[in-house]
Amino acid sequence: MGNLSGKYAIVGVGTSRFGKLQGVSSMGFTLEASKAALDDAGLSRDAIDGVLVMMPAVMGEQHGWAARVAAYLGVEPTFSATMDMGGATACGSVATAMAAIDAGYCSTVLCCFATQNWPQGVAMQLFGSEFQVPYGDVGALTLMGHIKRRQMHEFGYTEEQYGQVAVTWRRHAQQNPDAQMTKPMTLEQYLASRWIVEPLRLFDCCPNTDGGGACIVTSVERARDLAKPVARVLGAGQSHSAEIIQPTGRDAQRIPGSKAADHVYGMAGVTPRDIDCAQLYDAFTPRVMHDLVAYRFCAPGEAGPFVAAGNCTYGGTLPCNTAGGLISEGHLSGFGHIREAVRQIRGEAGPRQVPDSELCLVTGYGGAPHEAPPTVSYSALILSK
Amino acid sequence: MFGAIEKPLPRPSEDSQPFWEAAYSGELRMQRCGECGHVRFPPSLLCARCLSANAEWAKLSGRGTIYSWVIVHQSQHPAFNPDAPYNVVIVELEEGPRLHGNLVGCANDAIRIGMPVEVVFDKVSGDTALVKWRPR
Repeated sequence: MGNLSGKYAIVGVGTSRFGKLQGVSSMGFTLEASKAALDDAGLSRDAIDGVLVMMPAVMGEQHGWAARVAAYLGVEPTFSATMDMGGATACGSVATAMAAIDAGYCSTVLCCFATQNWPQGVAMQLFGSEFQVPYGDVGALTLMGHIKRRQMHEFGYTEEQYGQVAVTWRRHAQQNPDAQMTKPMTLEQYLASRWIVEPLRLFDCCPNTDGGGACIVTSVERARDLAKPVARVLGAGQSHSAEIIQPTGRDAQRIPGSKAADHVYGMAGVTPRDIDCAQLYDAFTPRVMHDLVAYRFCAPGEAGPFVAAGNCTYGGTLPCNTAGGLISEGHLSGFGHIREAVRQIRGEAGPRQVPDSELCLVTGYGGAPHEAPPTVSYSALILSK
Repeated sequence: MFGAIEKPLPRPSEDSQPFWEAAYSGELRMQRCGECGHVRFPPSLLCARCLSANAEWAKLSGRGTIYSWVIVHQSQHPAFNPDAPYNVVIVELEEGPRLHGNLVGCANDAIRIGMPVEVVFDKVSGDTALVKWRPR
């Protein structure tokens, strides 16, 4: 098996307009984000011969979605797939792109995703299994509520500690001109925010975001011919399994996602201590607590105090979600995280820049939290100068 | 302008039909593996532990404990809006599997992890009973 570590790079990153924006279709946002990534890379669309797109699940079954994106972009790739790992897809698509280039199927891959949450002319899909929906257990919110409940029960994490995640990310978003949620927020305001699915408060949750993002993967040799500093992919890792409800796996005691962590660090040949900044998949605050443990920055039970002590902000030991995360930058399904990580590696992050940022971890999480059993994918990348 | 939106009922699959039939007759049944004894959920052709297809639909104790619970304040489905705030619990059965449901006969603010519960069957139509839980 070849080792792809350091052979491929993310050369372009971009987003569409995003926020609560009616009047633009999922395809429209996807094209806008893709064009932004091409412009960022300084590439013409003719360079693209691979296209990977995440399934826009809110639109239901969409046959040939990735190939349709290619058709709308006016390109004819020799490699394409629609990917379905929810919020784990962004990192996962970069890993798939690297493998496809290494296999010789293509040379430069566009990875992208966008969604319009209220698409016109599309029958809305009701997510969920026969074992959940009849009980009013609909969507990802209940699963994340259960995960927060179990974290608080097992580790004693406090409301204030979750609040520190939300408040810190909001402060970061104020340094990001594109962010969706920039109004100042205090811990008191977090604690006073209403329950959505108790114990999840409004400010534990990311907003609904219409829009999307994209990135472009190619070889380091090609990357060096482009104008921007090279952001190499040193490591990629994934794991896929059922979570919380059904300990069917033969290794049920393992921390979910820890296999993805083993792979990403193993491939990169680095340890958590080497990471300069992290973009953790944070559709909800309990995800941050989980990933700090799964990716071995903290022992189980230490994530709450770790965040509360200020380690995860600018100047801390592990600045995280430096653009505000899904919670305050907006839910770009992880493409926002990839954009911010590339900017941190390039030194383009302006007031958010982590000094000497040489290694950045990006994590992803998602899939079918609303199905039986609730099933999720973990994916991660380590980017390097 | 629109009729009332009804709560979605389970639509059994080839795999789950015996589960729902048992529930309607007032029994909690799941597949017990004929090879390794693992009680599996959700229903499946193969045992997730040993991949054997050999299984019987065993009657379970119907007893368990609350593994986790949440209170839905903002419903994600219009048919459930009038019920909010309502609970969704995960029950860990004595036989091992965990399943989602609602706890009845208990105030939401009295729910605790580890609380002992037992199954109740809520007949919601002429052929469907939902599997719910009450304190024991």
